[in-house]
Amino acid sequence: MLQDYLQAYVNKYGFSGYTELRAQQNRNRGVMMLNGSLTANTSGTSRGLSARVVKGGAYGFASGTGYGDNLEAIARVVQTATSNATFLDSRVQRGKPDFPANAPFVRKDGLEHDLPVEQSYLLGIVDELDSYIAERFPRLLSRRVFARVLDMEKLLYTSDGVVSHSYVPRSNIYVVLTTQDKDGQPVEHFKVMGGYGNFLNKFPNAQDLFGQLEKQYEQLILKAEGVYAKPGIQTVILDSDLAGILAHEAVGHTVEADFVETGSVGGPMFGKQVASEKVSLVDIAHTAFGKLAPVPVFVDDEGTLAQDQMLIENGILTGYMHNKESALKFGHTPNGNARAYEFSDEPLIRMRNTCILPGTDKLEDMIESVEDGYFFTDMNNGQADSTGEFMFGVPMGFEIKHGKLGRAVKDTTVSGVAFEVLKTADMVSDTVTWTNSGMCGKKQMIPVGMGGPAIKVQINVGGRA
Amino acid sequence: MKQAFEVKDKALLEAAELILAEVKAIGADEGETWVSRNALTELYYELGKVSMVRTVFSDKVSLKLLKDKRKGSTTLNSFNPGDIRLAVREAWQAAQSAAPDEAEGIAELQENLSFCAGEEQPNLDAMYGQLDQLLKDVRQDFPKISFDSIGIEHNFGEKLYANTNGVRLSDRRGVYQLSNMFMAKEEGKTSSFNYFATVYENPSDRVCKESRVRRLLDESQRQIVTEQFEGSFEGDVVVTPGCLENILAFVAENYLEDGALISGTSPWKDKIGAQVASPLINFELIAEDPNLPGASQLSGDGYVAENMPLIEQGVLKNFILSRYGAARTGLPRSQNSGGSFVLGNGATPLEELISGVKKGILMGRFSGGSPSPAGDLSGVAKNSFLIENGQVTKPLSEVMISGNLANMLRDTVAVSQERENSGYWLLPWIRVSGITISGK
Repeated sequence: MLQDYLQAYVNKYGFSGYTELRAQQNRNRGVMMLNGSLTANTSGTSRGLSARVVKGGAYGFASGTGYGDNLEAIARVVQTATSNATFLDSRVQRGKPDFPANAPFVRKDGLEHDLPVEQSYLLGIVDELDSYIAERFPRLLSRRVFARVLDMEKLLYTSDGVVSHSYVPRSNIYVVLTTQDKDGQPVEHFKVMGGYGNFLNKFPNAQDLFGQLEKQYEQLILKAEGVYAKPGIQTVILDSDLAGILAHEAVGHTVEADFVETGSVGGPMFGKQVASEKVSLVDIAHTAFGKLAPVPVFVDDEGTLAQDQMLIENGILTGYMHNKESALKFGHTPNGNARAYEFSDEPLIRMRNTCILPGTDKLEDMIESVEDGYFFTDMNNGQADSTGEFMFGVPMGFEIKHGKLGRAVKDTTVSGVAFEVLKTADMVSDTVTWTNSGMCGKKQMIPVGMGGPAIKVQINVGGRA
Repeated sequence: MKQAFEVKDKALLEAAELILAEVKAIGADEGETWVSRNALTELYYELGKVSMVRTVFSDKVSLKLLKDKRKGSTTLNSFNPGDIRLAVREAWQAAQSAAPDEAEGIAELQENLSFCAGEEQPNLDAMYGQLDQLLKDVRQDFPKISFDSIGIEHNFGEKLYANTNGVRLSDRRGVYQLSNMFMAKEEGKTSSFNYFATVYENPSDRVCKESRVRRLLDESQRQIVTEQFEGSFEGDVVVTPGCLENILAFVAENYLEDGALISGTSPWKDKIGAQVASPLINFELIAEDPNLPGASQLSGDGYVAENMPLIEQGVLKNFILSRYGAARTGLPRSQNSGGSFVLGNGATPLEELISGVKKGILMGRFSGGSPSPAGDLSGVAKNSFLIENGQVTKPLSEVMISGNLANMLRDTVAVSQERENSGYWLLPWIRVSGITISGK
């Protein structure tokens, strides 16, 4: 747990002008086995301090390692940030007033989850999963099992009197199985488990995961015998994982206020129909459907109390995600989207837990309604564009023929223009699932949660002719 | 510049020597460490204004120890002796639970050397002047371009590798880098975003004079209004240098590096000496070149990196294997396990390379899913134009390509005389036939 040395600094030196002062510790652990050999067995801590000072609308930021009880060292970081802001203010002379002050508050969130886990525990779980795979699945060319832990702890003091101490743990196990198809070409299937929580609680034993391994292997064999998708616009049911990345990549980025200001398609569409009325999309702050969201944010790194941000309501674009500066410019309320990854990073406008809200359809009925199309179940990476055009990789899926699932489909990609694709959503399932394993990149990486139900859309598939 | 071993910042040496002493004292057989100290100064432009000056001071330590070939490793960002002792203990505990791996080890004793380049102190005034000049140049020459962000940074760092075999290598380097994201806008319409990054040693250079930068900005201005086409066809793809870097990174990861070779999934695993690509392909990993200040002369596992051919006239010459990867596969360790990509230029002038295309696309950027282990890839051809009867015609959107990495190198039918240099890579345009190109 981070010791609070900032209180003593603030008591002694106070703040001079708008300042955010943040101590942060990211702790990580990683274990990887490749074909039974341990190729990674590592742990690490990244701990430090940063200060961001704003003068006349010019930002100065500084950070340093060696966070501790040396108040002079803290003062040097604040002084460097102040010098940087002063340098820039003298050049740009923007003359902006300080941000309106928040009402002071003190919060502690998630600190009870700081439970130490030994490296040997991760090794034990990974070893057991690897042994199970080696014994049970004969047709593998290779296997990789890895466990990762990332715990982020932040202690924030702002010049307007906000004090926030938070702890957000994330624990994942990744399994990659590879076999060969009839031509001897390698075929891979990747699954990730886990999400928010301490590793001990998330993975109390390896046996609970055996069922998921069996299903993954079964799907891999189907994929090895699978076919390439047909290229072009197809009727596709995107299962929850894909709906989640669609919400994040295709829509979420275009309604980040900084991206809107640069000219994303989200700008001119505010208040307009951008999706079928069956689609509502929200960026959850910390709690959804009565449970903690995968990446709960209670206070952001500018000291704003986090609230849910509605983005699309029944198909109408109704909101953007903001930091303090963009909210002021747009005349909106900031809802806590300013987030930084490392102590050495400045807060940027970031998503937290983007989620398409559930509809009323049953997945079985959705499949039955498709005469000729696809059911895509898994995703890997994704990217979005300023034009609203997006793509994401689809490593697993199935044909749908006459309302029934058919052959498995080999790796493909889907793409489209977000708002056009969402306008074609005519069925939305009643069940939401979340993923919390990937990182979103935008100058910095950051963990995000993505969620959604299954949705049925018309979308461009990058298959083979 | 290569020189006799010398570390200027004695705190690095002290931290490294303490780590190795602790590694031995705790009972480990072998150990290695990287210790570094960096100062980053960044000038950041976004949303139409220079918004921030950022300074990041960072100390970093990574260490690995082995006991009976059992490995434990850890990282921290403190040179504090107490923190270092805790980290060594953490790695020791991790090693206790690990299974032995005969392939594990550390770099053998070699000549201790140091490398240095660039300036230690950032010239913030020159950085500001360079940014200001870039914005003025772009406003004048490319008025439709809008930058989402521009970062100009100076990164100075000294890093030291040390191990219990007595190896000591260090690198002291200050370089400037400019990176950005931009798009073109007109009458409420927006092009796809694009970006470039460039590494250099002199911040007074005018970025907008570079032909690569001018080409990218010009292409974006012509991509505000795009067209789609219906259906799909098999045609030629002309891959631009920046996009080719992306494709070659996939080739390295899927066919040449540790992961693909240890797991046995690389289709090239037994192809050393075999023709794997068109005879036009000459692909090299560069560790040192005065024109590539972004190249790295030290490998991650404690060796001096050398320039190394990967593919010569289409024949596979080397893999990109670390010491560990080599020990696991029984293949030789590579002289370079990272480095900058260089593809030799060809004999075809760019204009001729394009005019030879009957139907295809000029692909500026590839936005796609991770290729399968076999190298199958599909994705969106971004910042791209249609080529018809040898002429670049319409800017395109919503066009996807599907192909296979190995086939793309095999089916390369022309390589341009011209190349572009980012400071990290030096690459030409290539023309690839037989790619599935699909519209809406």
